[in-house]
Amino acid sequence: MTLSEIADGRIAPRFGIKLDNISKRYGDHVVLDDVSLHVEPGTVTALIGPSGAGKSTFLRCTNLLERPDSGTIQVGQHTIEPGKEVNSRDLAALRRTVGMVFQSFNLFPHMSALKNISFPQQKVLGRSKEEADERSMQLLERVGLKEKASQHPGRCSGGQQQRIAIARALALDPGIMLFDEPTSALDPEVGLEVLAVMRELAADGMTMIVVTHEMQFARDVSDTLVVMADCKIIEQGDPRAIMSDPQEARTRRFLRAVLER
Amino acid sequence: MDALSAVLQGLPMTLMLTLLAFTIGIIGAVPLAVGLSSSNVLVRLACRLFVDLVRGVPIIVWLFLLKFGIQIGTFKFNPVGAAIVGLGIVSVAYLAEIYRGGLQSVPRGQGEAAHALGLGRGTTFYGVMVPQAFRIVSPSIATYLTGLLKDSSIASTIIVTEMVFQSQAFARQHPTVEGILPYIIVGILYIVLSLPVAYLSRRLDSRMRKAIYA
Repeated sequence: MTLSEIADGRIAPRFGIKLDNISKRYGDHVVLDDVSLHVEPGTVTALIGPSGAGKSTFLRCTNLLERPDSGTIQVGQHTIEPGKEVNSRDLAALRRTVGMVFQSFNLFPHMSALKNISFPQQKVLGRSKEEADERSMQLLERVGLKEKASQHPGRCSGGQQQRIAIARALALDPGIMLFDEPTSALDPEVGLEVLAVMRELAADGMTMIVVTHEMQFARDVSDTLVVMADCKIIEQGDPRAIMSDPQEARTRRFLRAVLER
Repeated sequence: MDALSAVLQGLPMTLMLTLLAFTIGIIGAVPLAVGLSSSNVLVRLACRLFVDLVRGVPIIVWLFLLKFGIQIGTFKFNPVGAAIVGLGIVSVAYLAEIYRGGLQSVPRGQGEAAHALGLGRGTTFYGVMVPQAFRIVSPSIATYLTGLLKDSSIASTIIVTEMVFQSQAFARQHPTVEGILPYIIVGILYIVLSLPVAYLSRRLDSRMRKAIYA
C-alpha cells in the first residue's frame, strides 16, 4: 500500500486550492500585500524566500489559522471570504480538507503517539476507537514508527515527532497538505527522514504546499516554485528554471545566499 | 488530655469548611478562568474585576460582611454558611488566577495544532489545553489547599466551632499555663493535616511527569 492510498483513506478526492488577493496587516504593519496563488490538484508547490517575507503567514492563511483581512480562498466546492464572517461549517470543512504540519511538530505531549493520531480521527471524523487505532497503526507503520505507538512524544526524537505529526495530519484524509518549515527545527541528518516521507507523499500525488529552506527538496520535488519577498510573490514557475535563471534581482540575491554558502 | 479532646471537637468542622470551600473553588474557578482569558473585552474585564476585588479584601473582612452585612428578606447567613460561602468565593478567585496562568503557559502551538486538525472548541479546551494546564498547576493547587486549610481558622472569628475556636474556648476556661496547650496541639494538627496533601501532590506530579516522558 502506498502512502497516498492510506492518505486517501477510502476515497478522499484530490483537491486544488485557489487563493486570491489575500491581504493581511497587523495594525500599520503589512504582512501580505494582495497575494494570489493557484495550486493544481496533485501538485507540489514550494514557497521559498527570506524570513519576514510572509511565507508562513500566507500558509497559515490557507487554513485560516491567521485570518486574512481580505481575499478569497477556494478549496473544492467551498469558497471562503475570510474578510467577512466565516460560518463554522465552512471553517470545519476547510480544516477537514487541509492538513497541516508545523515547524515545532505540536504533538500533544500528554498523549501517546497512537492517541495523538487516533484522538482527532475520533473527534473530527467520528471513527470508533478501533477503526481509528487501526488506521493510526497503518500510518505509523508507513512512516516507520510502529514501535513508537505507545510512547509519548517526549520520548521520541525530533524527526520521529515530525513523522508522527505527518501521520496525525494524514489520518484525517486531507486533500491538501501544508508544511510550515517541517525540517527547520531538526538537524540536517534527522531532517532527511522527514523529507523522505514527504517525497513519498509527493510521489503518490498528494497536493502539497511547502514552506521550506531545503533548496534541494524544492528543486527536485516541487512542480512549482514560488518566491516570496516583501509581503508579495515576486516570482513563480518551474523550480529548475528559476533556480538556474532567476528573473528578479531580489530572487537572485536570495538564491545566492542560500545556494552558494 | 482535655486540651486534645477539646481541639479534636473542632476537627470535623475544620475539615468540612476546607473541603467544601475547596470544592466550590475548584469547580467555580473553571468558568472564571475561561472568562479571564476570553477574547471579549467586557467579559474579561468583568472577570478581572471580580478576581481583583475578591483577592484585594482580607478574608476576615469578607466573613464579617457575609455574616453581619447581608440580610435579604428574613434570610441571614448562619456562621457556618457565611464561612463556607466566603472561603468558597475567595477560593474561586485565587484558583481561577492559578488556572489562567496554567492555561496561558500551554504553548500556543498546541491550540493551533488542535484548530488545524479541525477539533472543536470544547474538545480543544478539555482534551488538549486543560490536561496540559492541570499538569502545570497541580503543585500550585496543592499549595493553595494547604493555605486554605489554615485560613479556615479565620472562621473562628465569626463563631464557627472549628479547631482554633475550640482552642480559644479551652484557653479561656483554663487561664493558667495549661491554656497554651491547645494552641500547641492545634499547630501540630495543622501540620499533620497538610503533610498528606503535600505528599499526594508530589506523587501526582511525578506520576504525570513519568506518564509524559515514559
